Amino acid sequence: MSRQPLDLTINGESYQLMVEPHWSLLQVLRRELGMTGTKENCLEAECGVCTVLLDGKAVNSCILLAEQARGRSIVTIEGLGDPEHLHPLQRAFIDHGAVQCGYCIPGMILTAKSFLDECRGHVPSEAEVREALSGTLCRCTGYQKIVEAVIAAARQLNSWPEEAGRAS
Amino acid sequence: MSGYQHRVAGKRLNRLDGIGKVTGKHVYAADFALPGMLFGKILRSSEPHARIRRLDVAKARALPGVRTVLTASDIPAIRFGTAIKDRSVFADGVVRFRGEAIAAVAATSLEIAEAAVRAIEIEYEPLPAVFDPEEALTSGAPLVHAGWSDYQALPVFDREGNVSGRAELGGGDVEAGFAQSYRIYEHRFTTQHVHPGYTEPRSAIASWDGNGDVIVWCNTQLPFDMKNMLAEVLDLPASKVRVIVPGIGGGFGGKLRVGVEHFAAWLARASKRPVKVMTTSEEELTDAYPRQPTIVTLRTGVSRDGLLLARQGRVLLDCGAYANSGPATAAIALQVLAGPYRTPHLAFESVAVYTNKGSTGSFRAPAGPMANFAVESQMDLIADNLGIDPLEFRLRNVYREGDKGPAGETLTSVSIEECLRKAADAIGWHDRRPAHGRGKGIACSWWLTTGGSSGVYVKINPDGSVTLVSGAVELGSGAITGAAQILAEELGVDLADVNVAEVDTHSSPYDYGAQGSRTAFSVGNACIAAAKDLRRQIGELMAAQWQVPIDSVRLEEKSVISGDKRMSLAEVASLSQRSGGGLISHGTAIQPMPVFDPSKVKNHPLPAWTSHSFHAHAVDLSVDQVTGEVSIHRYVVAQDVGYAINPTYIEGQIEGGVAQGIGQTLSEEIVYDQGRVMNANLTDYKMPTTMDMPRVECILVEKPGVNGPYGAKGVGEPPCIQPPAAIANAIAVASGVRVCSLPITAEKIALERLDRAAD
Amino acid sequence: MSFAFHRPDSIDAAIAVAREHGASARFLAGGTDLIIQINRRRIAPEHLISLAGLGLDTIGETGSEFVIGAMATHDAVVGHPAFQKQLKALTEASAVVGGRQVRNIATVGGNIVNASPAADLVPVLLTLDATVELRGGAGTRTLPLDRFLVERGRTERRPDEILTAVRFDKPPADSATAFLKAGRRKAMEISVICVAAHLVSDGKARIAIGAAASRTLRVPAAEAIVEKGGRAAFAEAGRIAARQMSPIDDVRASARYRRLLVAAMVERALGICADRIEGKST
Repeated sequence: MSRQPLDLTINGESYQLMVEPHWSLLQVLRRELGMTGTKENCLEAECGVCTVLLDGKAVNSCILLAEQARGRSIVTIEGLGDPEHLHPLQRAFIDHGAVQCGYCIPGMILTAKSFLDECRGHVPSEAEVREALSGTLCRCTGYQKIVEAVIAAARQLNSWPEEAGRAS
Repeated sequence: MSGYQHRVAGKRLNRLDGIGKVTGKHVYAADFALPGMLFGKILRSSEPHARIRRLDVAKARALPGVRTVLTASDIPAIRFGTAIKDRSVFADGVVRFRGEAIAAVAATSLEIAEAAVRAIEIEYEPLPAVFDPEEALTSGAPLVHAGWSDYQALPVFDREGNVSGRAELGGGDVEAGFAQSYRIYEHRFTTQHVHPGYTEPRSAIASWDGNGDVIVWCNTQLPFDMKNMLAEVLDLPASKVRVIVPGIGGGFGGKLRVGVEHFAAWLARASKRPVKVMTTSEEELTDAYPRQPTIVTLRTGVSRDGLLLARQGRVLLDCGAYANSGPATAAIALQVLAGPYRTPHLAFESVAVYTNKGSTGSFRAPAGPMANFAVESQMDLIADNLGIDPLEFRLRNVYREGDKGPAGETLTSVSIEECLRKAADAIGWHDRRPAHGRGKGIACSWWLTTGGSSGVYVKINPDGSVTLVSGAVELGSGAITGAAQILAEELGVDLADVNVAEVDTHSSPYDYGAQGSRTAFSVGNACIAAAKDLRRQIGELMAAQWQVPIDSVRLEEKSVISGDKRMSLAEVASLSQRSGGGLISHGTAIQPMPVFDPSKVKNHPLPAWTSHSFHAHAVDLSVDQVTGEVSIHRYVVAQDVGYAINPTYIEGQIEGGVAQGIGQTLSEEIVYDQGRVMNANLTDYKMPTTMDMPRVECILVEKPGVNGPYGAKGVGEPPCIQPPAAIANAIAVASGVRVCSLPITAEKIALERLDRAAD
Repeated sequence: MSFAFHRPDSIDAAIAVAREHGASARFLAGGTDLIIQINRRRIAPEHLISLAGLGLDTIGETGSEFVIGAMATHDAVVGHPAFQKQLKALTEASAVVGGRQVRNIATVGGNIVNASPAADLVPVLLTLDATVELRGGAGTRTLPLDRFLVERGRTERRPDEILTAVRFDKPPADSATAFLKAGRRKAMEISVICVAAHLVSDGKARIAIGAAASRTLRVPAAEAIVEKGGRAAFAEAGRIAARQMSPIDDVRASARYRRLLVAAMVERALGICADRIEGKST
């Protein structure tokens, strides 16, 4: 099948690509663009390591055709914060010991970001955070420090609301 | 360092690789790519046991974009294996499990490689297969390896037919012990296949250079073992193989052995291009190194006042089609079965068998959860029957300081009573049945800190930073950050001053590898040795420079001091570099083997444990009295870590290990039917989610060991050992149902209650 | 494996593409199941026709009924203010479809058209006597959802028909719904059994069960006994439902356990409805 032109907006930048229609967004990010911060594992929306934001909402890029992202805004972990300007979620994950092998962490942070953006103005309960993150598997941490980090980040984002909008 | 207040070790400092990981910049093996690389895919058997009658790859070779197709006939017939050399790269004319590799393809895209695999034509002649480990032991059972007696194997294992290894552990006279017993109990427990569940698939890229050397970038836990194994499989001197681990997304014992690396290396050699091979979830659940299923039978005699007198037991372990670590795992189960209890008369036997199922391996605390589920479930069954509180029954029998272990070794730094009491207090043991349908359970265990040597190179750079070169990879546990904390402590620098080099077998010193709860322990010890040597070098250099006695020179707060003379560590390193090649040292470490009584073990590859640790788990849960659904309210772990090098990451190990243990207990199982995996995807292989995990309350007990850095003991594996037994015991209290087979699904509990109501 | 991707700009254009390519074409809603089926090589469509951007994603209401556009996501259902009281079962079902990432993409229409016996939203819609609206080359028609579903993977939809919306009457104030799901984990499950119930204080009862037969089924005999006997008949309704189902043994659960769950969950779902009507629980 021949390649078709596809323009994507990723982390605020536009990309002019030639893609085959069946390519997933994950495949385009990792294989075509070398943006390997978005991870690859089950390819069936069961593990969540491939999570990116599509118009601000967390989605599994492994089962989303790149075509389905046409004309929409994509944010990957590379667009959230960089080592000099960490997003409060990234900072909290480090400070709370929520990172072990780290392979699930980009997806976990973006899942959390989409959730916290929806509950702007209130700090979610532990139960709410657990519910929100249930689509992203972590095999290292048992989730406890991840949940603590998300709640801590929520507190901070609420006290600096202008920070919350960055990269979204 | 006694009496000295640590500045860096023991502190909750952030890990060294955290920023790279939260920003997506940390490169894992699965992320790694080379220009012009090809993609490899594997043709796998659809039959559990069959002769390959015809294999035709012509159509696959002819597909545009296919660069190489390899089968057993294209490479030397070399057998490899951990304990027994029973496996080949591609099936050697006979397939022994569904999913076994038969051929490999390298093509310009993954899709073409997949199409080529489908284009390979194959005809099988089915052979009788055996799936049940007990049936595999019977005379007349189909032989999984007809040529087993010709295989090379470590001499320690006693093998015959489908038995890949037998071992014994014990002492005293069990029959006499049973004769003295007030009551004798006999139970049978079964455990299932569970996958380590690392989120990063196994991945390798191989590339051959101008010297005929192969470089393999992969996510192995054991780069040096991988190097040797690949050299063997590729029929090369080990010096021609270079293994580099860019980053690794979890291993848990599942990435110890060759998995995709050999395919990548052979395909790269044949295609003269770099080749990447990465597993799918289906491949992970059909051909990886999951925890072996076991059948454990345990017969125990006790005195009227609740003292263990005699124990006899057998661990039957199902290796699948290839032995790998199975025989050793089965043998190590015997120590788990013995401890942490005084038992005058012991007779344990392990039997590892072949069946026509996927190969298995050393998932975190290999043997631990299986044997502990048996022994700790039985402890509750006995206590209930005797009318003794299960905690009290355990306390009457646990090891005390100076006791002899099962192989006659002397036990020191024994903390099991403290762990049990702390876990029990924290869970509120006095109230074991807080409500209808709710109950509490407890289980305890012991475990070893695996030996093996470690070497590190440590360099103090002219800017005052310190480079740590270790052959041990950072799996995610934080162990290398822990070792770096020890190094920083010993050198008087900050953790942030330490850089860790990438593991590369060409340039890193040898390490036995990130396995067996040994990484922080052993690399930490090597760091202490390296730092000691650097302090000696600094002393000699500055004594000469300042014309002062060597023992007046000391290292403090990034400065070298003697009397009123002071020079920054950076300047000293710079001085050394200008005058003598720089401050660089090689530190090494190895644990001494304990003295044991050889008459107590037979055919056992690991007769006595080094630097054992003790731990107790307690849980409070509810069981839905109709549906059997289990909801865990609280989970407490009291674990003796000897010395907490970094409490945050130790808690992380405990919380994560408990999660894996809860998965094994309640939801996870690779389900086989006639050799076919029925749930080879993450929809139906069910690892715990955030909603399935309770908070885990960690109590770190610090009773210093004699061998570890600052008294530290191995931490990583133990947390997944006790969840099955602790939860089974609590479920029995909450529901009245004792389930002796893992996983303890809601279905098993509910149907057992239904059956009982019908009786 | 590949296909042509079509992005029609109107519903009529989408129907035209479907008519042109017949059985080789598939409509793409969220794709959270379709793409997996394609990747697993269970299906191999040559044309995918996107239904995005055609205005099918709204959740609307008229004086007497609610209309959920086929492309409305589960996330939209979960958060819809009108579904938080009498129609709570809708949010309870949509909230447990996959993880958050799936619910942001997966659609109500996809959940229905897929015709999986384990689809979580379908039993709830059955208890609401929902109808589906279909538009195709031959025009628009509506069908009761109960008639639309045939069996596992099969519906009355013709290949060129788009399920555009699902409609159901607004429930009376003195009514309640409930949805319960059983699986091995507490999240990320395909239902081992799911049950929806709908009670009105005048006695009307609706019960529907998923993953217990070759399609999601209502249980009229159990409904009848509840309509007659009220709360006292809930347990018997569960037993009747369990007898009438024909569950299978598979890797997720045995048929025997599924029956046990049906009995227990039907009784409980009815109990929750009754409690909600009486204001005893939310």
